[in-house]
Amino acid sequence: MLSLNPQTQKKLRRFRGIKRGYYSFLILAGLMLLTSIGELLVNNRALLVSYEDTWYFPTYTDFHPGTDFGLTYGYETNYRDLQQTFEQADNGDFVIMPLIPYSAFENHAPGGIYKPLPPTLELKHYLGTDTTSRDILARLFYGTRIALMFSIAFMVWVYVIGISIGCAMGYFGGVFDLIFQRLIEIWSNIPFLYTVIIVFSVIPSTFAVATRIGILLTVMVLFSWPGMTYYMRTETYKEKTRDYIAAARIIGASDSRIIFNHILPNVMSTLVTYMPFTIVGAIGAITALDFLGFGLPAPTPSLGELLKQGTANLRTAPWIVTSAFLTLVTLLTLVTFIGEAVRESFDPKKFTVYK
Amino acid sequence: MHTTTSRHLFGVLLLGFLLSACGGAEESQSTDATLAPDNRQEVQDYYAARPDFFSFKTLADLPADLDWQDGMDLPEIGSDQAIKGGTEYSQIGDFPRTLRTAGPDSNGSFRPWILDYTSLGLAHRHPDKFDFYPALAESWAVDTDNKTIYAKLNPNARWSDGEPVTAEDFMFMFFIFQSDYIVAPWYKNWYSTQYTNITQYDDLTFSITIPEAKPDMDSRVLELRPMPRHFYQELGDDYVDRYQWRFQPTTGPYIIKDKDIKKGTSIALTRLKDWWAIDNKFWKNRYNLDKIQLTVIRDSAKVFEAFKKGDIDQFGLNLAEYWYDKLPNTDVDVEHGYIQKSIFYNQKPRPTYGLWLNTSKPLLDNQDVRIGINYAINWQLVIDRFFRGDYSRLQTSSDGYGEFSHPTLSAREFNIDKALAHFAKAGFTERDENGILINAQGQKLAFTLSSGYENLKDVITILKEEALKTGLELRVEILDGTAGWKKVQEKQHDIHFSAFNTSLEMYPRFWETYHSDNAYDDAFLEDGSVNPVRKLKTQTNNLEAIAIFEMDKLIDAYRASSDKAEMISLAHKMTEMHHDYGSFVPGFYQPFYRLGHWRWVRYPEFFNHKHSGSATQYHVHWIDPVMRAETLEAQKTGTSFGPAIRTFDQYK
Repeated sequence: MLSLNPQTQKKLRRFRGIKRGYYSFLILAGLMLLTSIGELLVNNRALLVSYEDTWYFPTYTDFHPGTDFGLTYGYETNYRDLQQTFEQADNGDFVIMPLIPYSAFENHAPGGIYKPLPPTLELKHYLGTDTTSRDILARLFYGTRIALMFSIAFMVWVYVIGISIGCAMGYFGGVFDLIFQRLIEIWSNIPFLYTVIIVFSVIPSTFAVATRIGILLTVMVLFSWPGMTYYMRTETYKEKTRDYIAAARIIGASDSRIIFNHILPNVMSTLVTYMPFTIVGAIGAITALDFLGFGLPAPTPSLGELLKQGTANLRTAPWIVTSAFLTLVTLLTLVTFIGEAVRESFDPKKFTVYK
Repeated sequence: MHTTTSRHLFGVLLLGFLLSACGGAEESQSTDATLAPDNRQEVQDYYAARPDFFSFKTLADLPADLDWQDGMDLPEIGSDQAIKGGTEYSQIGDFPRTLRTAGPDSNGSFRPWILDYTSLGLAHRHPDKFDFYPALAESWAVDTDNKTIYAKLNPNARWSDGEPVTAEDFMFMFFIFQSDYIVAPWYKNWYSTQYTNITQYDDLTFSITIPEAKPDMDSRVLELRPMPRHFYQELGDDYVDRYQWRFQPTTGPYIIKDKDIKKGTSIALTRLKDWWAIDNKFWKNRYNLDKIQLTVIRDSAKVFEAFKKGDIDQFGLNLAEYWYDKLPNTDVDVEHGYIQKSIFYNQKPRPTYGLWLNTSKPLLDNQDVRIGINYAINWQLVIDRFFRGDYSRLQTSSDGYGEFSHPTLSAREFNIDKALAHFAKAGFTERDENGILINAQGQKLAFTLSSGYENLKDVITILKEEALKTGLELRVEILDGTAGWKKVQEKQHDIHFSAFNTSLEMYPRFWETYHSDNAYDDAFLEDGSVNPVRKLKTQTNNLEAIAIFEMDKLIDAYRASSDKAEMISLAHKMTEMHHDYGSFVPGFYQPFYRLGHWRWVRYPEFFNHKHSGSATQYHVHWIDPVMRAETLEAQKTGTSFGPAIRTFDQYK
């Protein structure tokens, strides 16, 4: 069982006390939970198919060709059609579809023409469709999931690299610090956007989408870790002159033990405070890159891509930009509220009064 | 961390907006500093070394029995209602990479503004009658027996810098196009092999001989455009840099002034008030605008907004999305007639929209895979649902050439079973967990589908989704126009969605796109077997990297033939062979063009000509300043002129 020290417990209590941030946290956590089981909620694969007394759960399995269910085609079954077929046949077979029975990729044009469709309850396009008749809610849902996962991965990597190097710079100081500072100064002067464009123009598009997202992540991390080192370096400088560090050193603790077991917990409040803002930054950056066309490879669902479509069809399909914009605003607001609350609850000067 | 990430975010946004302004601004004219070379002696030596190609005779040597023609009986092209003056505001998607008309990057989308539609050859095909009307030439004569065409230049013809156009400019044209300086292999090949002699009789009279008396041999010579001898005195190895941003003097009405070149931002064409051909029968009442201001706007949605605001005067509404949804007939500006909508049905060789398969890539070198891909691409769905049935399916890569086009061949339809059968023949029998076909080695049936058509990216995602049904995975890659074209020119694509624009010609060309000379260096050994060490050739139009020994023979015969019937049968045979090879998936064509234009942009009563490819190609439109003021005023007060939605189907 994880035992938290009383200080931390106090901070967490304070965090729970700040209602706005706490509820934002609950909402966001719930949202992440939902998106992690997204395939069960937003999908064109059925949750359950009962065919000739056999039950199929196609959501997470290999694809089922139409022939598996007595249809004539060998490609992926259209479960929405299958549901209707079964209902008409009425011989005990049935299909249970997810709440939103569309995937983020399929073009579903009931009118026969690919064009944006306004939101409709009847067809279960709750937020309408985009220019190629793809369900906007499905694209938003998976776009948000990718953005969240991307930004969390981004944060983790930036922190791991930033903390290690920043702490080392602060702890060892001297020539090591001097050299690394100069390296970081040089490194941060490389223009980020150009690098992204150049890197993307040379990586072959034969790479799978996941690989390309990974490369984008790597490039972004490579250009973002230096910022973290500044804070860690100063914090470490401050902490390492404290008596408890001297004590640890006298006992014979190793450098890495001192850094990770003694210094790091004491600078944790700085880290935690910055975390939500790192995530906000990452979501913003990935959306902006997508908007400019240098982000996630098409046709990956993404907020930036929807925003771009929305602005291109501002007159004819305002529902595209509205849903994308509101999603982005909500997401960023939630994270910012959490950030504010975390900062406040970790602030040691709670009772300080200025006069 | 807060400040850093937000700084990066800001950087991303800011740089994005600045990006368009930065491109291309770094080049400078560093060439002035070096001593300008003088090639006058070199050119003379070149002529002297090739007496068979470059001959000098006197007027006395001119055959007496020539049948001189001048095309003066053809109808006029411009409208006598046209008014000269005004500025047209228009848009280009990308700043031109160069102002050169030959050499690397010169074959881009800016070319029509400085060459194709604005400069003069000896004579041009009449856009209604197909016969030739005079341009630089005053008259010409065709000597079929000797495969020679004689031309007399118009004595008034001038370059835009005032120099007269002479026969030497045509001689020099051969020099420059045959030289290695311009780094243009196509030009070198074409001008070295498709012409055998030029003879100068006096300053204005010359003849050009071609190797075979082709049915359209007159067009081979009459459509030649001279190169200004005096301008290229500095031609040398540094041509590409030296002439990169220098506007070549033109025989046409529009020049580009240095002050109007704002790199990355805008470029403007200015009309020569004293253009030498301004009163000639076929050139009057055309090229009416004093200035054409071309601003770079990359995003088509922004272009449309600029058009709606009145910042640009015309906008192509070819996409159904724009014609029906974004500028519907119920739009306020359309209902009141401030913006007019016109559809014009034309007749011309069709641009070859389709998927170009690079057969030099693994798997795509397998014919069964290629044919399977043909069956796996659902163009009909795109035509029906995305283009809303307005377009038609392209059947071959040479449609619209009358009897030279194949009469019966049709493109393969979307057919899952046939696609699967062909993929199975190529060894792709199993589907993986996502339904993608794999072969025994575990190789996936997956290719990159790239394109430079940002505004047609939806088409590609539709094709991708449909192809998935046949177990074919297409990885989408949307590039900007220039980068996309660069990619295919470097032959780095797997499958590319693109089109070649076609000019008004009697019969299709095959050498450029299908001859092995344009696919590989030394594609075959003596005995016709594949050369194992052959190297892929870049910067050619053989985007499919086709190298078929038999096809080469047919192309050579086709190029050498002077018999129309034989050429037709060869063309059909080659089209069939190309169809069987399966390296091109014919897409769609548009039997019309349609556009929206503000009321002050005026077109002739007949709107345009039968063989026109776009509304502005023949520059017959003009701007009426009175109407402009009237319309802007009416827009303020809400006065209506009544809608003007016009269909011109006289050539349907």
